Amino acid sequence: MKRVAIAERSNWRARAAEGGFRFHTIDGAPYWDETAYYAFTLRQIEDDLEDPSAELHAMALDLVGDVVASEELMERLAIPAPFRDWIAESWRRGDPHLYGRLDFAYDGNGPAKLYELNYDTPTSLYEAAFFQWQWLEDQRNRGALPPQADQFNSIHEALVERFAGLAARLPPPLYFSAVRESEEDQGTVAYLRDCAAQAGLHGAAIAIEDIGLSEDGRFTDLDDVVIGSLFKLYPLEDLMREDFGAALPGSGVQLLEPAWKAVLSNKGILPLLWQRHRGHPNLLEAHFDDGRALPAGWVRKPLHSREGANVAMHMPDGRWQESEGPYAGPCIVQAFHPLPAFAGNYPLVGSWVVGDNACGIGVREDDSRITRDSARFLPHAIIDDAPAGNTRIYV
Amino acid sequence: MMKRSRTTALLLMSTAPLLFTACQQEQTVQVQEGLYTSVEACSEATGDPSSCRQAFAAAQQQAADAAPQYASREECAQEYPAEQCVPQRTSAGHSFVGPMMMGFFMSQMLNGRAGAVAAPPASQPAFRDKANGWARPAAAPGGSGGLNTTSRIGAGKAGLAPVNAEPNRAVTARRGGFGNSSRGRGSFGG
Repeated sequence: MKRVAIAERSNWRARAAEGGFRFHTIDGAPYWDETAYYAFTLRQIEDDLEDPSAELHAMALDLVGDVVASEELMERLAIPAPFRDWIAESWRRGDPHLYGRLDFAYDGNGPAKLYELNYDTPTSLYEAAFFQWQWLEDQRNRGALPPQADQFNSIHEALVERFAGLAARLPPPLYFSAVRESEEDQGTVAYLRDCAAQAGLHGAAIAIEDIGLSEDGRFTDLDDVVIGSLFKLYPLEDLMREDFGAALPGSGVQLLEPAWKAVLSNKGILPLLWQRHRGHPNLLEAHFDDGRALPAGWVRKPLHSREGANVAMHMPDGRWQESEGPYAGPCIVQAFHPLPAFAGNYPLVGSWVVGDNACGIGVREDDSRITRDSARFLPHAIIDDAPAGNTRIYV
Repeated sequence: MMKRSRTTALLLMSTAPLLFTACQQEQTVQVQEGLYTSVEACSEATGDPSSCRQAFAAAQQQAADAAPQYASREECAQEYPAEQCVPQRTSAGHSFVGPMMMGFFMSQMLNGRAGAVAAPPASQPAFRDKANGWARPAAAPGGSGGLNTTSRIGAGKAGLAPVNAEPNRAVTARRGGFGNSSRGRGSFGG
């Protein structure tokens, strides 16, 4: 694994515009960054990322049945009591899931370490599945990357295939929903809706704020049409505690991601995984936070934080690093395992699982060891004879 | 073995009619069908306003020839909401009372190759009866039989086929009960 500088495609902004990629620059700062890429070997991809992702995914899914069958574990994960039966039922019924992302610290040597699962509302999907793919094709065609360059990224094909399989399992009509004002979230749902359409599955779009509730407790669109299935890029735990949340269990709506993802999008899954698979090479030791002072060498994360918010890091040398954010509530602690540094940048590898298929990665890089929503997305390539050092540029 | 998608495409998101990028092009033909109550709803659903406008116009042209025919407004109002029952004239000049077109059905072949929609959309008018059931002409657009211009007064809805895409509706009591946690946060993904 190397960070390799490369010339940007001169037309990448035009490519972004024609592909509907509107959030490549966020608040004036670059988000999509193709001034460099990460080069992996095929062995690194397959042995260190793909296989562990598939294994960890299976381990996590294995836990769901146990959690939903236990009041104590549901309590531990701070799942509100009125929703526990609904969540358990969605698991027993086998409500299908679409996708998830495992975040790894990985430096090219030794096992990748799982930071967390983003199994409810993962983003950076469009840029990983589509725009990164297009970058590789363009750079190969220009000769800036060798012809044998490949990419661990069959995410797009996996999504279209998954939607084709979901078509018969999602009660119509299907809606794709996100917060109205979030360009990034809107872009992600637009892409998913697009993938569904390519699979012949029609979905409409609705802002999460526009969803209505009828007298008889069903969710409606702006024309009073009852929503059969709802893909929501909006945290389940927020849906549950908001005004319409109480209507969820009785509404008949089928959610995507399904209600049982509340178990996996919860950092409480990390200590549970550790309890069951203590010492697994891809897991970091983790426990539920008992409220004591955070010892050196440990990191505290709220059960429900996203985008790296509200993370406290007590480094082995005694220094602290903390991130701000809106999240509170119960926490877990996880053994400190820093992100590797590549020329002052800290890459986090997001490994995508569509259905149950580990099918690609996206690398996000921040200037700090806590990956925030300010992190940049860098493309990657599989190049078995990766150029030596950090500086060689194919032109 | 290649570790990446053989092909990727954008159907709705791209600014081009169909952005199709591939290293190995494959012929993919898809049919997109839907019942739409307006050009706006159609454009929103398909991302293709120009086909929607064409389909709407074509459906409107067929509407009088396809509508169920009644001798009087009262007869029509037994099956359709009275306010939709209006005097009409077929293209052959027969007068009757029948329901107005309340929506249109569009069926479109999407061709992966050459980045274009293969053919103009097929469309038909759709009528909504008192029970909120949607129906369209039983015959395919442009075909023969079922849809004709001779008087069919008395046949009622016999020439129509129900559209199963009938939306399930419920009167909305409240909106805005989701999304409040979004204040002060830019993105909800992670």
